[in-house]
Amino acid sequence: MLLIEADGKALLRQRGVPVPDAVEVHGPVATLPGEGPWLVKAQVPVGGRGKAGGIIRCASVVDVNTAIQTLIGRRLKGHVVESCLIEEAASGAERYLSIMVDAASYGLRVMYAADGGVEIENAGGVHGILCPPDASAVAQALDKLLLDETIACRADVVQVGQRLASLLLERELALAEINPLFVGESGCVAADAKVVVDLNAIDRQPEIATMIAQRRTVYVDANRKLAEGFDYVELDDEGEIGLVTTGAGLSMMLIDELTQRGAKPLNFCDIRTGQMRGSPARLIRELEWITARPSLKAVLVNIFAGITDLSEFAALLAAAIKASPALQVPVVARLVGRNAADARRILHEAQPGMLVTEDLNEALVKLDQIVGARA
Amino acid sequence: MIGTLSRATPVIVQGITGRMGRTHAALMRRYGTNIVGGTSTRTDMTQVDGLPVFASCADAVAATGAVASVAMAPPGETLAAVQEAIAAGIKLIVTVAEGVPMHDAMRIGRLVRQAGATWIGASTPGLAVPGECKLGFLPDVCLAPGAIAIMTKSGTLSYEVGYRLVQNGLGQSLWVGVGGDPVKGLRFADLLPVFFDDPRTKGIILVGEVGGNEEEECAEAYKRLGARKPLLALIAGREAKEGVSMGHAGALVLGDAGTLDSKTRQLTAVGAEVFTSLDTLIDASVRYFGSAP
Repeated sequence: MLLIEADGKALLRQRGVPVPDAVEVHGPVATLPGEGPWLVKAQVPVGGRGKAGGIIRCASVVDVNTAIQTLIGRRLKGHVVESCLIEEAASGAERYLSIMVDAASYGLRVMYAADGGVEIENAGGVHGILCPPDASAVAQALDKLLLDETIACRADVVQVGQRLASLLLERELALAEINPLFVGESGCVAADAKVVVDLNAIDRQPEIATMIAQRRTVYVDANRKLAEGFDYVELDDEGEIGLVTTGAGLSMMLIDELTQRGAKPLNFCDIRTGQMRGSPARLIRELEWITARPSLKAVLVNIFAGITDLSEFAALLAAAIKASPALQVPVVARLVGRNAADARRILHEAQPGMLVTEDLNEALVKLDQIVGARA
Repeated sequence: MIGTLSRATPVIVQGITGRMGRTHAALMRRYGTNIVGGTSTRTDMTQVDGLPVFASCADAVAATGAVASVAMAPPGETLAAVQEAIAAGIKLIVTVAEGVPMHDAMRIGRLVRQAGATWIGASTPGLAVPGECKLGFLPDVCLAPGAIAIMTKSGTLSYEVGYRLVQNGLGQSLWVGVGGDPVKGLRFADLLPVFFDDPRTKGIILVGEVGGNEEEECAEAYKRLGARKPLLALIAGREAKEGVSMGHAGALVLGDAGTLDSKTRQLTAVGAEVFTSLDTLIDASVRYFGSAP
């Protein structure tokens, strides 16, 4: 999961990687760090902020406050901007430096490029060296990558790289990237930070866990997953079809297919029926989130059960429907597995007229009819 | 050793006395897998459902000659389970746990590679040679012997594919769930030579997801190895939200990296056919691999 820049930079700063003096604000500001000019940067966990208009260069306090007013509360690439990071614009030559887990080699990929900037990551021409996952190997890789580097602060860059490597290894990160890294006579400074954490290691990374917990709304999906133990990602707060589904891949595919049919899925979900252990609590929680959106027109339940007894699942779903008075839209259930006939009977009692089918296409056509999408 | 797996291959279950281990050991046996025993930390059980329970993989291997293992260990204990299995000489290990930390997966990968063994997982329902055996928990209803090799990141989406193939009178030669994690054991590209060399296999279905570069890597290998059999691909996640893992830790799109467009472009360029819906994939499979009327 991608951290916002402010959190990424906090991790860098702790490791002794130079970052610009900055202040994070949620509204107007009176005093600013340094002399200016400043950058006002929207803090959303997504790349490409600059191109999307989320980074504004300002020459005065008045401009800064106008930029803050423009950005706060605005939606940027699917995320509402809650805060901005304001820092003095760094200067110097731009470099690109990143260290990431390389899945195929079970090691790290260390990358350095003499041109920083937003295009570099997509250019494909960045020099990279694969090395084993230890700090000394990263140091050797950096030495090689920086052979042709003539800047005065070469040693500083190597040191930043080593600190980035130890951060990645100790905090079990997937990616630690600085782009751009400004290099000049007096040293180097990380003008941006892209840090991807591993949520699966969160139990043994209390520092990262605290960081995520402190921003409930910014990291809404991660906090939800950590609190609830299953995956739910809201895709469109004006979505029309809520998904109660099991399996990440199939849920993604259903979202793609619904979208192709002209429907608007509300959420991604992997409810994990195997972990419910006889309690409808998880289903009730999910129906609560789904029904919170007034745009909701239908709920699609899709369970392909290898092991789960469908009649047991149906009983839990029926209990959840009864416990969810806010649910006022039709449910369409597509169930494959053992005891499908019992499941159908139980669900028909919970919501008369509910389509319960083994045929996914029949379920999708029914949804088309409900939401009025083109079939 | 994927290509030579059969109902003769002796398999142990690590964690066989747990709820999952016991259930799935029984289901695997029912399917035909030669489960020869298992391991457990419990000292009060020497047998479960007629199978011997050992204190360690070393004991289990010494007593049974097992060469493969299905590790039913929780994510935080998966690294230790693999270390134990590899030290005991296990040659093929399937780890089913979802949520193995990425840096643990790197350690597992290095260890298994050094030992010259094969690792499937994590975050996988396992693999199957339909009609012979299964290691893991692929639902029987999706399995039938046939000519299509399936490789997949997703469990459920591949169940859906397998189920519909079976409904259409088609079956599978080999089925390998490589799993939904970014750092994993066998990858799509590793499986191509196995499928190309497997005489039962006439064609390949790849069930992919956005995130990572495994599909792109597979496209490159497909071309390099001479595209010897048709490759059909279904890739989920066109509408995935950027910066957030979509259920599977590996399903993470960042900028232009890991997008469906990148995967589709590269697979198509090497002659694979990429589908955007289950229906079109199944129709094409029937066209390619169905028996003539």
